[in-house]
Amino acid sequence: MREHGVIALVNVPIFLPGRVAYGVLQVDATRPRDFDDEDIAFLRTYAMVLGPVIDRFNKARDLAHTTERYRLIVQNARDYAIFLTDAEDRITDWLPGAEAVFGWSEPEALGQPAAIIFTPEDRRAGVPEEETELARRDGKAPNVRWHVRKDGQRVFIDGQTTALRRADGVVTGFMKIGQDVSERKKAEEATRGSEERLRLALESGHLATWDWDLASGKIEWSEEHFRLQGYEVGEVEPSYEAWLDRVHCEDRAEVLKALGNARDHGAAYRVEFRSPHPDGTVVWCSALGRFFYDEQGQATRMIGVMQDVSERRRWEAQQEVLVAELQHRTRNLMGVVRSVADKTIRTSADLTDFRERFSDRIDALARVQGLLSRLGDQERVAFDQLLDTELSAMNAHGKSIGLHGPRNVRLRSSTVQTLAMALHELATNAVKYGALGQADGALTISWRIELPASRGEPWLHIDWSETGVAMRADERPQGGGQGRELIERALPYQLGAKTTYALTPEGVHCTIALPVSASNQDGERTNVRADA
Amino acid sequence: MSERTLEGCHVLIVEDEYMLAEELSLALNDAGAVVVGPAAALKDALSLIKSGEKVDAALIDVNLRGESAYAAADLLLDRQIPFVFTTGYDPRIIPEKYRQIPTCEKPVNLARVTSAIGRLVSS
Repeated sequence: MREHGVIALVNVPIFLPGRVAYGVLQVDATRPRDFDDEDIAFLRTYAMVLGPVIDRFNKARDLAHTTERYRLIVQNARDYAIFLTDAEDRITDWLPGAEAVFGWSEPEALGQPAAIIFTPEDRRAGVPEEETELARRDGKAPNVRWHVRKDGQRVFIDGQTTALRRADGVVTGFMKIGQDVSERKKAEEATRGSEERLRLALESGHLATWDWDLASGKIEWSEEHFRLQGYEVGEVEPSYEAWLDRVHCEDRAEVLKALGNARDHGAAYRVEFRSPHPDGTVVWCSALGRFFYDEQGQATRMIGVMQDVSERRRWEAQQEVLVAELQHRTRNLMGVVRSVADKTIRTSADLTDFRERFSDRIDALARVQGLLSRLGDQERVAFDQLLDTELSAMNAHGKSIGLHGPRNVRLRSSTVQTLAMALHELATNAVKYGALGQADGALTISWRIELPASRGEPWLHIDWSETGVAMRADERPQGGGQGRELIERALPYQLGAKTTYALTPEGVHCTIALPVSASNQDGERTNVRADA
Repeated sequence: MSERTLEGCHVLIVEDEYMLAEELSLALNDAGAVVVGPAAALKDALSLIKSGEKVDAALIDVNLRGESAYAAADLLLDRQIPFVFTTGYDPRIIPEKYRQIPTCEKPVNLARVTSAIGRLVSS
């Protein structure tokens, strides 16, 4: 300092507001001198004034820096559309990000209403106005929706509108910042679409699903899973225990074996079990699933689907019964055929006689089988139908036959064969020896249904009456042969029928009363009236 | 005809099909047996067994007008009367419990039925 000729100096500290030390004000003199009180007072005042001035300079510099920084950030934020509007929501500032996102250049955008970036449908619905209103009221308004670019393409914006206010609170405009999240949105919608499709497919197929995290034991069930096991949706926390609880106890061993096998061998878990519901119904569930494993081969997760197969099971059971019934009927029928052959042999004069009568009876049996096999599950052969089949086969129509009785008296299926054989024998005899074989003969078949007084079953009363027959004892077989035996013995034995059989001077008179299907108690019947 | 291997033997027939019951009756008669019944329904079979009428052996159709005949079978087992089942169903439908009971599938071979009863009565 001496080199510079400084001989005397004085230092005064400078403080920024808040008594923050900033530095020292130094005054040098090249001539020896003293600094008197007046000098000190001046310098002190000077330093005091200097503090706030320096402070203001600092702040101005910081502000400039900050503003520059913000400008850089905002201008380079290409993924973010940022723009400002005035109080009428007309664009005043259009930053490069906004141009990148919406396609409008700055000159094109300036002065336009902010509504240009809204979709036509949103504009019609007044969405832009609603949004600024909300921002005016609450300071901010979310803006998360599809917008439209200059070229008409849609962009999904996740953004926000902020009201800009003066110090006195008056709104001077709005700042709008938003991010183009179209790709994410599209991916989300695609995912939601495929999830929705999967959900719909599962629902349409009534497929229940489960997802079991073996580490935590946590299981997720679809709504259908709850329902298949007789739970209200959400009634229980899905768990292994809740599942097993609704697996029929008789099926548990098999189900658990299948589960263990699938887990230990990586095989498909495929099993059917009954699920007993609290209301007493039992649902057959068909489950299909598989385990997933970690790198150590430890099972970590199991996923699967389950379906209600009760109907299929019912059909299978029904089919099994039908097959067994068919087998039973066939075997019995073979026995009947053998017995018919045996009896026909006993009463046949020779083989020609046997052949004619035996094939006649076999044909009658075949006709009955035809009637029975055409029936649906709940259907029954009607008496008039059976009678018609038999008389048609005998070529008896057109002859002098009177039919009087209600149509559609439903016969029990178990009685049809024996009754048909009896009618066949009666008709055969009538053609050979009786009313249907003689010019003056007449046959009247009348029937009625007797409904039970209280409990019990309806009965069908049949009256077979031949008249005008010239009885020739020598021709007619003794006692009416097989027809008479069927009526007097087989029908009572097998069907619990009450029968009479008489040879009157006019011809055969036979009555048959037998219990018929209980379904005859309801339903309408019309009368058959066919007199010839 | 056949040998009278069942001479004087009382055989109950339970069979709902008239013609088959007739046929069996004839065959058993021919073998010298006295036919008890035949019964077409379970209740008739039960009352015949309970009636105290002499029955040395029985022939039972497993299915009687859609009703199973096992109640009659059980009553016979109680009374230690031997019997043979006949069935038009697959013999596998007969419960395990009756496994030792001889079974004839329909249509039955009359000679086989007769000899099966003969074996039961003689043992």
